[in-house]
Amino acid sequence: MAQPENATSAAQSGPYDWIGSSVPKVDALDKALGITQYVGDMQMPGMLHARIRWSGVPHAIIRGIDTSEAVKVPGVRAVLTAGDIPGINRYGLAVQDQRVLADDKVRTAADPVALVAADTEQAAEEAITKIKLDLEPLRPILSIEDALDPTAPSIHESGNLFTRTTVRKGDLDQGVKESDVIVEETYRTHLMDHMAMETESSLAYMDPTGVLTIITSTQYPYRDRRQIAPALNLSMNKVRVVQAPIGGGFGRKDDITSEIHAGLLALKTQRPVRLVYTRRDSLIANTKRHPMLMKFRTGARSDGRLTFVDADIYGDTGAYLSLGAFVIKKAGIHACGPYDVPNIRVDTHTLYTNNLSSGAMRGFGVLQAAVAHESQMDQLAHRLGISPIDIRLINTLKPGLATGTGQVMDEGCGIEATVLRIKEYMESHDLRFTRS
Amino acid sequence: MTKKRGLGVGSMFYGIGYGFNRADIGSAYIEMADDGTTTVYSGACDMGQGIMTVVAQVAAEVVGANIDTIRVVAADTTSTPDAGPTSGSRATFVQGIAVHEAASDLHDQLMQTAAGMFECEKDELEAHNGDVYLKDANSPIASLAEVAARVHLLGGRCASWGWHDNSTADVDPATSQGDAYASYGWASQLAEVEVDTETGHVKVLKIVSATDAGKAINPVAVEGQIQGGAAMGVGYALYEQHILDEGVPRTDSLAFYLVPTSMDVPEIQCEIVEVYDPKGPFGAKGIAEPATVPTTPAILNAIYDAIGIRITDTPATPERVFQAIQEARARGEFKD
Amino acid sequence: MEHYSLKINGHVYETGAEPFESLLDVLREKLRLTGSKKGCDEGECGSCTVLLDGKPVLSCILMVSDVRDREVLTVEGLPQGGEPHPIQVEMTERGGIQCGYCTPGIIMSAYALLQENPRPSEDEIRFAIAGNICRCTGYSKIVEALQAAAGTPIR
Ligand code: FES
Ligand code: FES
Repeated sequence: MAQPENATSAAQSGPYDWIGSSVPKVDALDKALGITQYVGDMQMPGMLHARIRWSGVPHAIIRGIDTSEAVKVPGVRAVLTAGDIPGINRYGLAVQDQRVLADDKVRTAADPVALVAADTEQAAEEAITKIKLDLEPLRPILSIEDALDPTAPSIHESGNLFTRTTVRKGDLDQGVKESDVIVEETYRTHLMDHMAMETESSLAYMDPTGVLTIITSTQYPYRDRRQIAPALNLSMNKVRVVQAPIGGGFGRKDDITSEIHAGLLALKTQRPVRLVYTRRDSLIANTKRHPMLMKFRTGARSDGRLTFVDADIYGDTGAYLSLGAFVIKKAGIHACGPYDVPNIRVDTHTLYTNNLSSGAMRGFGVLQAAVAHESQMDQLAHRLGISPIDIRLINTLKPGLATGTGQVMDEGCGIEATVLRIKEYMESHDLRFTRS
Repeated sequence: MTKKRGLGVGSMFYGIGYGFNRADIGSAYIEMADDGTTTVYSGACDMGQGIMTVVAQVAAEVVGANIDTIRVVAADTTSTPDAGPTSGSRATFVQGIAVHEAASDLHDQLMQTAAGMFECEKDELEAHNGDVYLKDANSPIASLAEVAARVHLLGGRCASWGWHDNSTADVDPATSQGDAYASYGWASQLAEVEVDTETGHVKVLKIVSATDAGKAINPVAVEGQIQGGAAMGVGYALYEQHILDEGVPRTDSLAFYLVPTSMDVPEIQCEIVEVYDPKGPFGAKGIAEPATVPTTPAILNAIYDAIGIRITDTPATPERVFQAIQEARARGEFKD
Repeated sequence: MEHYSLKINGHVYETGAEPFESLLDVLREKLRLTGSKKGCDEGECGSCTVLLDGKPVLSCILMVSDVRDREVLTVEGLPQGGEPHPIQVEMTERGGIQCGYCTPGIIMSAYALLQENPRPSEDEIRFAIAGNICRCTGYSKIVEALQAAAGTPIR
């Protein structure tokens, strides 16, 4: 097996035949040759093309949807709205707050309202523009501050604060008392897109034995099946989900994206249906990275030892939860960073808004938390006149020490080794901080 | 001088897998045909990060086969068992063990039959790269293909499956105290930036990423995760942003939503650290998310080191950085 | 619907198409040459890159009527005698490929570069693929693979 001579020096094969060896990826050559078939590359005889009509406004009551002009577009085979769903018009990863197609209300500007399947993509595209929506606008909730306002209208029945989690350790007052320096700061992070180069896509068809088969760009076919079957009123063993080669996921394809829509159209038309999101569809719809508002207070003694972390984290999950409550809870669990912190108070708040919804994305809340805890570490270092490297080394978790949740570390705890590696790199390359 | 340079560090830990009492399983079937070729039916999706390759490496290692004789079948509810999602940096960590288990059992079956063929104990045998050896001997006594053919001829079992549960109990609801995750990933990064104080433009000159892989099963793939993760972190720190206008997305084209190109991503130096994790396959840990988390804070800290101004809101766009510089100038706190 | 004969990868393909259809759609949907990918369909991502008379172009913003009588080269046309092109080999072996969706476009941009400039510097390589977005790799291993394919030293 060919091995690039510059593969790496970090890990040699050692006693192993294959572990630690940089064999080329098993699927890479086909990708280089252009023969790998992603969903959008597939065709089937009689296949229809699908398009989605999005709501376009963030919060409104649906008074009516007029599809009469859309069905007249030549080549159109089906125009579907919520009433055409044979099963339960609800799904979601943690709670079932998403509609396959919007029914009572529109909760984001990217709610799917209607579906079209047609002989060509052009016909489907033309048809969705001819669907007329009669919407009665509602006051939209567009910020974390808005969502916290108890007088604001509720996006779901549950109210806009979906959940709150708390981390408590030690004695916060004691930590404050022992501090020689305290840094207080508010951080805000923004909405980010996964931007996998392959957009969300599914190809659905009835197989000869009557099983609805959905070939899709997904990170988890079994959970897709769990959500597809009830919406389409099929038993789960009559739904087959096949993971196609995926052109990037980064968390987005953890959720249902195109699967139920393609399946519904295939069921209704009894024809294969390919639904490939346009880049615009992908940019506006489905989950993003959570914007967070993070208020942090962190203390340290003059020797650099952390004394406490006191923080509130507010996450905007948009109109649908997806995995939002877990993302924001995970941010709270990781709010103290890879350090030994004796006294902790962290509250997290998962909030619904009418913004685009957020869910799993590479980093899963820990990235936002790290923006805050690492900026705090740096501020402490500067205030104390300790180098940013040293303040980390003073506080890193080590075997026998415990995380913010009291989990005692074993020999697998590697944080100190990574900081030391950076320190060595700086020394050997004569790199120095400007300000410390 | 309108260009100022600075260095910044970011560190992080990341709970691998799901925690919170969420199902966190891996599973795979494995089967060896009469000619010694092996198929692994692995329910873990490969989005390009390489879990199919890791599965092939683990299976080849444990069975003792040549990797070119391993075929991995991708996730399909009809042919592969449920292996949970590929997310939470858990695929190698969880599915690696499930495949290890399946492959060990298959290996055992093969060695049992080989022991019968050569009238020895199965513990006296081992397999490497498609051949069976007496332990410590230099030349093989049979090929795995011959042994597999024999198992099939005798009607023996030449297949197995493996399952691994990485689920952990939820933390305490009031205090969040408890063992939140089975394991953690660890990483630190150094970023070097240059800030143009006339435009607010930040250029990342270099990133050094020290990521603890536990054991790098495929070092080039690990480096690929580190470099791709850092590039995504550069985008998050500096440019990428969805802009909503009264809830309506305005960044609905790649012309408006900017992602880093080959000209924006600097050299990314990979420092693979290996602190063995007793719970991972061959000591390996998850790295996909740890590779991306430290980049943004490292860049924000480097901006501070360069200009003495802390950017607390992301992304650090030229407008935001320039405005912060102007405000500092107005307060007399900025030295050009 | 009009009739087109298109010269692609050294073969002549006959197809019917509307004049405003993009070359990319015709390649992918009519001729089933799906190696060229559609990442945006608006000329922003580079995943649809093909060569037109030896120059890299974005096939999603070219109308099929614009390529009559011209030579198109797609990723499917690179292997010679059944052997992958060295760029394809190096991309595979050096980790230049993760999800692979950007890969054909990057390979075509790189091929065009090496035709013009067989020993490019790292900066020239980075510039040549600047119109090809890759979300997975951070570009480092792609650059290494292209340096290897060109036989220039790797950093
Ligand atoms: S598909 Fe042509 S540039 Fe993106
Ligand atoms: S390898 Fe996934 S976009 Fe480049």
